[in-house]
Amino acid sequence: MVLTEIWTSLIMWFFYALIPCLLTGGVAILPAPQNLSVRSTNMKHLLMWSPVIMPGETVYYSVEYQGEYESLYTSHIWIPSSWCSLTEGPECDVTDDITATVPYSLRVRATLGSQSSAWSTLTHPFNRNSTILTPPGMEVTKDGFHLVIELEDLGPQFEFRVAYWRREPGAKEHVKTVSSGGIPLYLVTMEPGAAYCVKAQTFVKAIGRRSAFSQAECVEVQGEVLPLALALFAFVGFMLIFVAVPLSVWKMGQLLRYSCCPVVVIPDTLKVTNSPQKLISCRKEEVDACAMTAVLSEELFRTWT
Amino acid sequence: MKLQHVSLWLLGAVLILCLMHTRGLRRCLISTDVHHIEESFQEIKRAIQAKDTFQNVTILSTSETLQSIKPLDACCVTKNLLAFYVDRVFKDHQELNPQILRKISSIANSFLYMQKTLRRCQEQRRCHCRQEATNATRIVHDNYDQLEVRAAAVKSLGELDVFLAWIDKNHQETSAA
Repeated sequence: MVLTEIWTSLIMWFFYALIPCLLTGGVAILPAPQNLSVRSTNMKHLLMWSPVIMPGETVYYSVEYQGEYESLYTSHIWIPSSWCSLTEGPECDVTDDITATVPYSLRVRATLGSQSSAWSTLTHPFNRNSTILTPPGMEVTKDGFHLVIELEDLGPQFEFRVAYWRREPGAKEHVKTVSSGGIPLYLVTMEPGAAYCVKAQTFVKAIGRRSAFSQAECVEVQGEVLPLALALFAFVGFMLIFVAVPLSVWKMGQLLRYSCCPVVVIPDTLKVTNSPQKLISCRKEEVDACAMTAVLSEELFRTWT
Repeated sequence: MKLQHVSLWLLGAVLILCLMHTRGLRRCLISTDVHHIEESFQEIKRAIQAKDTFQNVTILSTSETLQSIKPLDACCVTKNLLAFYVDRVFKDHQELNPQILRKISSIANSFLYMQKTLRRCQEQRRCHCRQEATNATRIVHDNYDQLEVRAAAVKSLGELDVFLAWIDKNHQETSAA
């Protein structure tokens, strides 16, 4: 009787001693990350979770994934994520892991030193065809009369459809397919005085979906207006032409007249002949003498005739 | 006169049916970007083909099997060969290298997506299996069975570029979706 009592109490003490071992040995005290979700925009997929807080410690996280193929044929195989083996932040860019349009399972666990938490798995597998597609960013510019646009570079999986039209009633909408963004693209040569509008949407062949069209952006080309300097030069030029030409014509006429037409007749008194009357050189002081001489000459001429 | 009309009408109906039939097959398209899968394979091709020890044997029998497939049988043969890879080859190959495992996973999951697309075609009766197509598939399976499983799986993986190029040629899209 006493022996059985001793035996029972020994067993009880043994189990009491074991309890702390059971608590600290096999069971992880590091909690698993919670609230796993995937945010996917324009084929960029981000796995996010609530961080595991351990005061004074840095917790690292590891991510693994499993495509539909693995879950159906090799369910024990989980593939480590390309970028997130022991990552610090509570998020992981799984874009390079999700490479087919099938449901993917994702799981995360926290690691602190040698301890690891249990795996926390995404509730609903993620299929990349549920990505949110936004209208593409677009820059519309004028290069002279050329309408040029540059679309946002969203990567090799994206194609673009660009629609442009003249802003007038009944105008036809033209559509152009662009295989990649990030480079300037010539659309059309605009007519002066007209406004042109452009809008664009993306298309992802891998998931067979398009985004909505972006807001239409319109540009206008002014009527032909010469720059001021050019206008001034043109005015001066015109003036020169309208003034210089008649002037030169008139001058030419004058020259021709002088060269072609007969010489002007010189009066008799200015003719130099072998006459008895000598040429009188009249200097100012000898004006009176000249005058007397002239009178005498006249009288002589009169008596002679 | 009436007989002529009837025969002309019959001929027209047959022509239209043939046109729709072949058009339907051409349109039984895989919208996946096969080039993306080819790129994935290019990165591991050398490593995989280096493991292939039976150089004189081929499983897809390119010149006899694949190249001789008529366009009418293309959809059925594609469907069968996709199933061959998904159900047998990828499962029989044990890969330890994480980089190669990642690429094989990418290809396997892309094949799964292509199978789903072809299944839609089949539901619309655009993927009919004739005897020639079934025979071609059986030749591939027989070739596979003649080798030891692991060697056969490695060889079939190494021939993926041939298979992908054949798919690309037979299922080119004529217009954007």
